[in-house]
Amino acid sequence: MRGGVSMKICIACGMPMKIKNDFAMGDESKDYCKYCAREDGSMQSYDEKLAGLTSFIIKTQGLDEQAAKEAAKDMMAKLPAWK
Amino acid sequence: MNNRQQQKSDTRNYIIETAIARFSKDGLTKTRTSDIAKDANVSHGTIFTHFPTREDLLNTVIEEFGMKIARRMNELINNDCSIKELLTAHLKGIGEYEEFYIKLISESSLLHKSAKNTIVMIQSTISFQLLQIAEKEMELNTIKKMPVNLMFNTWIGLVNYYLINKDLFAPTDSVIARYSEQLIEHFINIISI
Repeated sequence: MRGGVSMKICIACGMPMKIKNDFAMGDESKDYCKYCAREDGSMQSYDEKLAGLTSFIIKTQGLDEQAAKEAAKDMMAKLPAWK
Repeated sequence: MNNRQQQKSDTRNYIIETAIARFSKDGLTKTRTSDIAKDANVSHGTIFTHFPTREDLLNTVIEEFGMKIARRMNELINNDCSIKELLTAHLKGIGEYEEFYIKLISESSLLHKSAKNTIVMIQSTISFQLLQIAEKEMELNTIKKMPVNLMFNTWIGLVNYYLINKDLFAPTDSVIARYSEQLIEHFINIISI
């Protein structure tokens, strides 16, 4: 219902998936995005995603590693894949 | 969705919108849930039916604000837009909720951990949009090579400084409306070769 947007949101990281290429393996039936998929197309585990999100925060804002990890954990706690 | 669910969802959204308005006026730490209830014309208890704690409400409001900015940026830009277009879209998004954003950044050190972490995620999402374009331009040698986190922090530092000091820079009107063009131009000058 959020603003009537029909766009799918990745269940594992919350990224909006706008185009086919945003989906894991370009497969629009998947509920997760290309950043949350392993090479074989399966979804990453909690620990893999936590490590990935932590480095994402460090890369984008340069935060302290522990602070970035806390933020990543908090964010994941709100997403359907990790509830 | 049946009528009852629809009504529940409408009330929830209305509480969020009302809360954004009240937080914009009185600040995130000072506003009481009873003030929001009064503004929204609902009982104090209704607020807690939708949001078990004040912390939940505040978190949801911050998340909703982050989604509004992200959505606005998505509408205004595409994958091959310029850095200038992206920064313009960013400031437009902030400008639509300027008062709320000022309260959010001014009071962020006083907020609870989960609210602070929500702000971290909002900023990372914006930084990610910037770095996707910036990395391409660095490859093309149209802008200076620099760590993308420092590029983003330089930009957000500049913008937030003007906003936090609104009383000094634009006491009677919008900071974004008044300085947007100047700040974008200055930042582009800094990063251009």
